[in-house]
Amino acid sequence: MEIIETKEKDISVFKLNGRLDSNTSPSLEKQLAGAMEDGAKNMIIDFADLDYISSAGLRIILKTTKDLRRSDGNIVLCAMQDYVKEVFEIAGFDSFLPIVPSLDDALAKLRI
Amino acid sequence: MNPMVCCKTSFKLKNNLSELDTLCRNLQQFGNSLGLTKKCIFQINLALDELFTNIISYGYPDSADHWINIAISHENGTLIIRIEDTGVPFDPDSVKTPELIDKIEDCRVGGLGIHLIKKLMDEIVYERCGNKNILTLKKNIETFYDELTT
Repeated sequence: MEIIETKEKDISVFKLNGRLDSNTSPSLEKQLAGAMEDGAKNMIIDFADLDYISSAGLRIILKTTKDLRRSDGNIVLCAMQDYVKEVFEIAGFDSFLPIVPSLDDALAKLRI
Repeated sequence: MNPMVCCKTSFKLKNNLSELDTLCRNLQQFGNSLGLTKKCIFQINLALDELFTNIISYGYPDSADHWINIAISHENGTLIIRIEDTGVPFDPDSVKTPELIDKIEDCRVGGLGIHLIKKLMDEIVYERCGNKNILTLKKNIETFYDELTT
């Protein structure tokens, strides 16, 4: 899996490409934790090019969300394929995690 | 794809996380040969990933190599998936899965994988035969054929 990190003012955007499973989730966990250590408070995870997610990936998203909220930060997920979004719904994560259709929607949500 | 056509495949995976890529390749090849949608192949991959990851994480107290056998057949619009391993006895039905979660504070990661398997599959049957765990999963795929191939 490839992770491309960019900045939009004070918002860190992580664009995921490929498959997020037990093999690849440690690298995402490390990168997100590193960004938080560097002071990132507002994050967007862009799922547009993500083909696959398992519970190992869901765990990283949950852990990051909890850590960010403890430091008054925010996270928004965007641009999921419908079957990836369905996994978040089955897990019940959509009830506490904002999931929006596009990167522009995610940026708008964090700038309000 | 004619739903009456019967197709099958089988393969084995070593108890190593790197085999998740082999699992993915095999399922994609089999799914494409049946003309299944990307969504259907994804859901089968996810259920088997969760089971496989569970088996290799908790199934073997030693550090030796072990094989996990997977056989998939397609009969009358239903996929029948059989997973055999020689790990410690484990019935996924014995795992307490989360209730409906609406607050992040209530969200626990334990049991999440098994919860996903139960939601993605239509039937799960566990048997312990000798030193083997045998799990049979069934998924109705009649609504999952690729429109281009029907």
